[in-house]
Amino acid sequence: MRQPDSSGGGQLPADSVEAVQSALGSEHAALWVYGLVSAFLPDSYNAAVTEGTTAHRARRDATERLLADAGQTPRPAEPAYVPPQPVADQKSAIAVLVLAEADTTVAWRAVLERTDDKNVRRAALEALTAAAVRATRWRRAAGQSPAAPAFPGEPAK
Amino acid sequence: MNIGHRIGRRDVLRAGALLLPLAAAVSCTEPAQPPPPDPLAAMAARARADAASAAAVARAVPALAAQAKAVSDARGEHATALQKEVDRARPPVSSTKPAPPDAEKPPAGAAAAKKSLLDALTAAEQEAAKLVPSVARYRAGLVGSVAAACASLREVLA
Repeated sequence: MRQPDSSGGGQLPADSVEAVQSALGSEHAALWVYGLVSAFLPDSYNAAVTEGTTAHRARRDATERLLADAGQTPRPAEPAYVPPQPVADQKSAIAVLVLAEADTTVAWRAVLERTDDKNVRRAALEALTAAAVRATRWRRAAGQSPAAPAFPGEPAK
Repeated sequence: MNIGHRIGRRDVLRAGALLLPLAAAVSCTEPAQPPPPDPLAAMAARARADAASAAAVARAVPALAAQAKAVSDARGEHATALQKEVDRARPPVSSTKPAPPDAEKPPAGAAAAKKSLLDALTAAEQEAAKLVPSVARYRAGLVGSVAAACASLREVLA
């Protein structure tokens, strides 16, 4: 049941590939959300928006390379996304950022459970942790409590 | 010393014959080596200790009450989930629950208390992150979530 440790150019089983493609999809969506919300947030959030955008872009690029190295075609971003709730002001902008980061944690935790590849596990943990931390920051900005759930990325029961 | 009756040689031999199969059975069922400890048991023990010390900070340092309670609640949930997985994988022989750690005296002063909470969360995150590459798939999500939660809880204290 073990699979070889990929040290670049490795193979990934189908279930691992599907999970990583989904996680790439959540990175595309998060990037789109960060682009959407910036117009609704005051300048005081510029640094946080820039940081989130930069991090998701880097993760997207790294994930596309990971898939390409495994001989897979990375799925492209959708032309547009429909936010789960309309974004019209600061409050709704932060709410949709929380959702985008939380979706990202769910996608990367799912990768952890669908691969034995140590390098993919490490990448997934980094992505899960970074998104969980940003989700917590945005929850704090929105005054939501608890700001840090006990099990980030755990699918809703 | 008063022995009720004299034990004859024959009696000793008979007793030995009865004991022999028993001794053989015991040596067969005894594992050659005890299994290595479950690494999640150490994570659970750390989470229990962290929950207790964060609760002590919440009581002793009003300025940190809300944040320390958030840490205590989440680490308590970690302890429960990790212990559940440890017990599922290797059911405990006795039904004794792990003893709750002694509530230690929190550091004096808000700054020192905050630092002790942050250091504990960093150590817990590192312990979990180290395990993530090697644990079974069905455990990787839980252990990864604990690592990510500890990083997020530091943000709550920031």
